Amino acid sequence: MRLRLSLCAIPLLAMLGAHPARAADAAFAKDLKATIALQGLPCDQIVDSKRNADSDYNAACKDGNRYHIFVDPAGRVVVKKL
Amino acid sequence: MRSAEPSSGRTLQRARLMALFALLLLGAAAAPAQPQAAGAAALDLPTLEERLRNTSAIGLFTKLSLKNQVDDLIAQFRAFHAGRRSPTLAQLRERFELLLLKVVTLLQDDDPALASAVNASREALWEVLSDPKKFADV
Repeated sequence: MRLRLSLCAIPLLAMLGAHPARAADAAFAKDLKATIALQGLPCDQIVDSKRNADSDYNAACKDGNRYHIFVDPAGRVVVKKL
Repeated sequence: MRSAEPSSGRTLQRARLMALFALLLLGAAAAPAQPQAAGAAALDLPTLEERLRNTSAIGLFTKLSLKNQVDDLIAQFRAFHAGRRSPTLAQLRERFELLLLKVVTLLQDDDPALASAVNASREALWEVLSDPKKFADV
């Protein structure tokens, strides 16, 4: 009985974990991934991102690729492989 | 998002580029009516503009990246209409198709109606870009 309750708790916890902040993170990861792809660079999935400054991020992909993504003074999005 | 300090001529150029960017992404409402793809929503330009601005299907970085690529393509069309023969019109068509494909791909999952509207405007957009007179009027 205790085991069944525990098993039921797993999806419940997973649902509770899907709060707005996570959704925003997922949307931002999708934005970064699309930005990398638009530059023709590989990234299967964003697993980590770190904000350096306004419009300036480092992103790590599941496949091991890491990128510096920022907007240069001319307003261009630049993606540099790290 | 920062940009370099523009001169008044540059401001005008940017305004024209932005207008064409809107046309590219939203459909060429100024162009003659074209046959719509099946399921494409027939929306007017202001509605389409608002929808693109408000769509959450494309993030801010992605929108800016697309804008950069649109600006690059427009610069290539401008050079072509000014007499430069490389890239050729066939190559420009290929680049235009690729860019439109990227936009539709980015929209299709989360905003399929807007994706259809953009896709349905393909030929009308091409007419504006490839015709020197229509391009100059944008």
